[in-house]
Amino acid sequence: MTKTNIKVLLSKLGLDVHSRGVFIVAKILRDAGMEVIYLGNSMPDQIIKAAIQEDADIVGVSSLAGAHLTLGADLINEAKKEGIKDSKGYVIGGAISPEDIDNLKKIGFDAIFTSGATKEEIISSFKDIFNKKLN
Amino acid sequence: MPKNTKTLKEILNEEELKKQKKPLFNPEIIKELDKEFNTWKENTVNENDGKNWSVTPQTILGSEIPREMIYTPLNLSEMDYMSEIGFSGTEPFTRGVHPNMYRGKKFTIRQINGFGGPEDTNERFKFMLKNGATGLSVIFDIPTVQMYDSDDPVSKGQVGTSGVAIDSTDDMEILFKDMPLEDITVSIVTHYPSNTAILFPMFLAMADRRNITWDKLKGTVQNDITLEEVVRSGPEYIPPRDCFRIQCDNIEFIRKEVPNWNFINLNGYNLHDFGTSGVTEMAVAISNGIETLEELISRGYDVDFIAPRLAFFWSISNDFFEEVSRIRAARRLWYKIMKYKFKAKNPRSLWMRCHVQTSGITLTRQEPFNNIIRASYQALAAILGGVQSLHVDSYDEAYAVPTEEAALLSLRTQQIIQSETAVTEVVDPLGGSYYVEALTNEIEKRILEEVGEIEKVGGYVASIEKGWIHRKIANYFNTEQVKIENGEIKIVGYNCYKSDEISPSIGVFKYPAGVEERQKEKIKKLKESRNNSKAEKTLGDLEDACLKRKNIVPYSVECARAGCTEGEIFKVFKKSFGLWKPPAMF
Repeated sequence: MTKTNIKVLLSKLGLDVHSRGVFIVAKILRDAGMEVIYLGNSMPDQIIKAAIQEDADIVGVSSLAGAHLTLGADLINEAKKEGIKDSKGYVIGGAISPEDIDNLKKIGFDAIFTSGATKEEIISSFKDIFNKKLN
Repeated sequence: MPKNTKTLKEILNEEELKKQKKPLFNPEIIKELDKEFNTWKENTVNENDGKNWSVTPQTILGSEIPREMIYTPLNLSEMDYMSEIGFSGTEPFTRGVHPNMYRGKKFTIRQINGFGGPEDTNERFKFMLKNGATGLSVIFDIPTVQMYDSDDPVSKGQVGTSGVAIDSTDDMEILFKDMPLEDITVSIVTHYPSNTAILFPMFLAMADRRNITWDKLKGTVQNDITLEEVVRSGPEYIPPRDCFRIQCDNIEFIRKEVPNWNFINLNGYNLHDFGTSGVTEMAVAISNGIETLEELISRGYDVDFIAPRLAFFWSISNDFFEEVSRIRAARRLWYKIMKYKFKAKNPRSLWMRCHVQTSGITLTRQEPFNNIIRASYQALAAILGGVQSLHVDSYDEAYAVPTEEAALLSLRTQQIIQSETAVTEVVDPLGGSYYVEALTNEIEKRILEEVGEIEKVGGYVASIEKGWIHRKIANYFNTEQVKIENGEIKIVGYNCYKSDEISPSIGVFKYPAGVEERQKEKIKKLKESRNNSKAEKTLGDLEDACLKRKNIVPYSVECARAGCTEGEIFKVFKKSFGLWKPPAMF
């Protein structure tokens, strides 16, 4: 049976203090009919553990304080270690330089968003990832 | 907490009624003018303009205050010049806190700095001072702000990002090495009361090592509950009441022991930039100021002992005249509160002194050079509002911490305004503008209304505990987001006048390498070389002070002297006060 309801786990990566972006994205996704769980500030291993427990389809992390490469790589490695890299989607958003957008793609994120992202782009990207990876 | 049975609005209204009003404009002439105005509106103004006489600007972080097409004396028909506007340096301080304003002392050029380890930021300080900065301002990295040591597992990958890493008094010593602390003022942007109670004692312990007595130190800590309990995101929070107590402990200690230090920067900035109107920004900071003074008075201090060192911190956004008027309005309202609610006698108690930073949230990634223009207009608005010191954001901040080139440009922006435009030669140059005075009146009224809303919830700390303030902010930023998306709020290069050029060609700051390892190494050495039993004893004494409701700061100073790390001190707070969970905001 095809799963249609998208379950998203959102968190702030590490100790980053800026949360307006992640709250806005949470509301956008929830208003678009997705189920959203917000974990708050968490480290990569905690996020992956929660993703397994909650059986989330997409893991979204927010980082505006410069830790996107280091903790972003940890998150993907942790997902690989737990064997859930290919079965779930991984999205990162925040203050990220153009050069680092490429780096994050190489690390293995399915989508990267910065402050220019629109509501439509975010929703359609989450849906695409869900359809490609999970159906 | 002593509660006045009357609301602030009632207190101020009663005082208004007592005044013998002397309108500046002759009522007969106003009557005539009214007739002329209506004739003009009917005959000369076209029909469409007449219908749309009042429009409400849609701007980032704006307050949605309707504006008429033109302002005249009719908008100020009952204005009493002396009681509402007056002269600069005298009541009601609408025109500024000093008689000569920038002719006497130019606004302080205070650009915030901080990245990497203390060694790196010390170099940036030297660069800024060499290029004419007149004050220092330091921001800490994320683990330091959140009170975890650089070697804590949760700090991984974040040491030295977004600010400078400080773990102990040793780092504070490196950070301020060769800085002339007796000659310049230093803003230590300890956002939270909790980290103020940790980092400022390290600063004091550093001063001890350099044989600088505390009365020589001049500067500011932020020390604001709004940052710790409302604006930030973080893994662990102490409860709002305990946080407020620490805020007041910091004030009490610093007022007595470091007399020239500004012990709180009532912070509207981060709240405004997080997502509130300019009116809410000021209502919240003023409410916090009122509750803080009430607490200090209940601890036995005279209002005139505390109030002269209160300072405010505002974010200045895009609606130019609203921003100028807002600063004027807050200055007058704060004066009224101090005079009529708190019965302050010392003229300095009546001053709303402020530092201003241009708004970070208005900066775009698209066409980043546009940000230079935005920040310049915001800076000009701040100066026309009569602020005491200023930080201009750098154009590359939607990408990362500013490069040296971008930081220099922000400094130059201020210097150009100071040296080339002559705007600082005349005090309050927009005072007397029918528009600006009418807007100042309207904003003051609206701030007072919102202070009243917070009073109704049970005061500011109660509004945090109940999540009331969190919900108010979430409502604002979600509504604003919709308006940005549908183009109602215009952002050039982002949702209008978009260019096909996608990638910017600016250099983006790269953090120095190896900071995390260097900090970890220093902590390891510190823990090997310090007297560990002494460090443990000071931490135990601090815990005792937390539990017995003594002022905690003297004990925290002892911890800093004994070489305790920030994380060790924060653990004591968590253990003593327990943890609190703020409401989710979506």
